[in-house]
Amino acid sequence: MGMNAQGSMAFPQVWHPQTAAEAWHLKQSFGTDSVYVSGGTLLRTQWESGVAAIPKHLIDLSAIRGLGEIRIGETGLVIGGQVSLEACRTHPIIQRHFPIVTEALRQTAAPSIRRLGTIGGNIASNIGDSLPALLGYNAHVVWYNGMEDLQITLSEWLKIAGMLHTERLLLQIQLPFQADETLEGHEVEHLRSVISKTKRFSAYHKVGRREAFTPSVVTASVSGSLSEKKEVNEIRIALGGGQMIAQRLEELERELLGKVIDVQLLRHVYNRIMQLYKPREDLFASVSYRKTTAAHLIASELWKAAHQ
Amino acid sequence: MTEHSKQAESTFALRCVINGEAQTIETTASARLLTLIRDELELTGTKRSCDIGRCGACMVLMEGEAVNSCLAMAYQCAGKSITTIEGISKGGFDPIQQAFLEEGGFQCGYCTPGMIVSVKGLLDSNPSPSEDEIAEALSGNICRCTGYGGIRRAVTRAIEGRMLAK
Ligand SMILES: Cc1cc2nc3c(=O)[nH]c(=O)nc-3n(C[C@H](O)[C@H](O)[C@H](O)COP(=O)(O)OP(=O)(O)OC[C@H]3O[C@@H](n4cnc5c(N)ncnc54)[C@H](O)[C@@H]3O)c2cc1C
Ligand code: FES
Ligand code: FES
Repeated sequence: MGMNAQGSMAFPQVWHPQTAAEAWHLKQSFGTDSVYVSGGTLLRTQWESGVAAIPKHLIDLSAIRGLGEIRIGETGLVIGGQVSLEACRTHPIIQRHFPIVTEALRQTAAPSIRRLGTIGGNIASNIGDSLPALLGYNAHVVWYNGMEDLQITLSEWLKIAGMLHTERLLLQIQLPFQADETLEGHEVEHLRSVISKTKRFSAYHKVGRREAFTPSVVTASVSGSLSEKKEVNEIRIALGGGQMIAQRLEELERELLGKVIDVQLLRHVYNRIMQLYKPREDLFASVSYRKTTAAHLIASELWKAAHQ
Repeated sequence: MTEHSKQAESTFALRCVINGEAQTIETTASARLLTLIRDELELTGTKRSCDIGRCGACMVLMEGEAVNSCLAMAYQCAGKSITTIEGISKGGFDPIQQAFLEEGGFQCGYCTPGMIVSVKGLLDSNPSPSEDEIAEALSGNICRCTGYGGIRRAVTRAIEGRMLAK
C-alpha cells in the first residue's frame, strides 16, 4: 500500500488563476513552494511515492479560459492544454486525421485516469507517452513566458525543456493538417493526382511491462510518405521511453529522404538508431535492450510501409 | 490578479451531489475524494488500496464516468455529481451486481465495488460494448483472485440482462 502523503503533510493552498498571466505571477511569487496542477495524476504518483514533496501551493490551471477545448484553427487542430487525455482519445477529428495520437492515448493509463489527466500535463511532464505520436505529426506548442504567448515546434520545445524556467506555462498544442486537408479548388485536383501516387504511413508502438500502468520501456513512432517507387518523400521518426525526453531523429530522417526502402536502407536505419537513440538505463531495462527494441520497431515498420 | 485567483483558503467547502443528495463537506481543497467518501461520509464500500491510481479499488462515477477517487482532489469535484457503490445499489441490487453474484465474478470481493462501478460507467454510455471496449474500460481495475474469467462472464451477463430488461 502506498504511503498516504496526506497523512503526513500540511494541506497545500490551492489557487485558481483565471488567466495565464495570473498563473505565471503566482508561480513567480511562490517559486519552488508551488507547482502547476492540471489533472494532478502524475503529481499524485510523485507525492505518494516520495519522488516529490507536496508543495505549499498548488496552482490549478483548469480555470484558465480557453484551454479546455479542441477546435479547428487556421492551419490545424488546436487542443487546449486542459483537455483530458480521454477527450483527446475519443475525439473524431483526432481519430481520423491523427490516428497514432489516438493509438498512443489508448495505450496511456486506464480510461479512469485519462478522464482526470490532461494532454497538457502529459506534454509538460516531458516523458508522456503522447510525445512520440505528437512529434510524428510535427506538432507545435503554444506557451506563455510571462510576457507573451510563444509558438514553437514540439521538437524544439523538448530540446530546450531542461533550460526553460519552471514558470513556463503550456497553453495549447497545434496539430497541422496535411497539405491535402486544407487546400481548395484546382489545387486539390493537382494535389490529388500527386497524392494518389504517394503512400502515407504511420505507426506507434509502446513497449512496456503492463501497458496501462507502467512507464514504457520504449515508445516509438514513425510516419511519412513514400513515392510509387518506394522512395522516402517525407519521414519523421520519434523515440522516447522511460525517463528519456522524447526526441525526433532528425539526422537519420534527412539521410533517408529520397532513398528507396530496401534491405540495405533498413540495415542503415537499424545501425543509425543504435548510434543516435540515447535512452536512459533504469531498474527495468538496459540501454542496449532499449536501443535494439527501438531499432527493430522502426526498421520493421518501414519494411511494412514499403511492402504491405 | 483577480479576486477569484486569490481564493486559496486552507479550508474549503466542497459542494457536490453524492448518491443523489446535495452535500456540503468542510474540508481542504486538496483533500482526496477517497478520504472524504470513506472518512467523512462513512461510505466504506469504496475501497482503498494502492493510493496511486493503479488498482481501481477506489473507483467512483463522476458525472456518470468512472474515475479514481484516490486521485481526484476536493476542488476537482466541486459542483459534480458523484456516485459510489452505495449509490448504485440504492434501490436494491443493480443487475450488474446480480450478474457478478450469478457468474462468480468475485472471490475475496475487495476489487468488486470498483469493478462494478467501472462496468456501470461503461454500460450506461455504451450498452453493447465490444470485447476490446470491455477490456479497455476494465483495464484500470485489478483483481488478484479471480483470474478475470468470472468477471468477463458477469459483464456479458449484465449486458444481456440489461438488453432484455428494455
Ligand atoms: C496509474 C497511472 C498510470 C499512468 N500511466 C501512464 C502512461 O501509460 N503513460 C503516460 O504518459 N503517463 C501515465 N501516467 C502519468 C499521467 O497520468 C499522465 O502523464 C498525465 O497525462 C499527466 O497529466 P496531468 O494533467 O494529470 O498532469 P499533472 O500531474 O497535473 O502535471 C504533470 C506535470 O506537468 C506540470 N504541468 C501540468 N500542466 C502544465 C502546464 N499547462 N504548463 C506547465 N507545466 C504543467 C506539473 O507541474 C507537473 O510537473 C499514469 C499515471 C497513473 C496514476
Ligand atoms: S486506491 Fe485508487 S486506484 Fe488504487
Ligand atoms: S475478488 Fe479478490 S481481488 Fe478481486
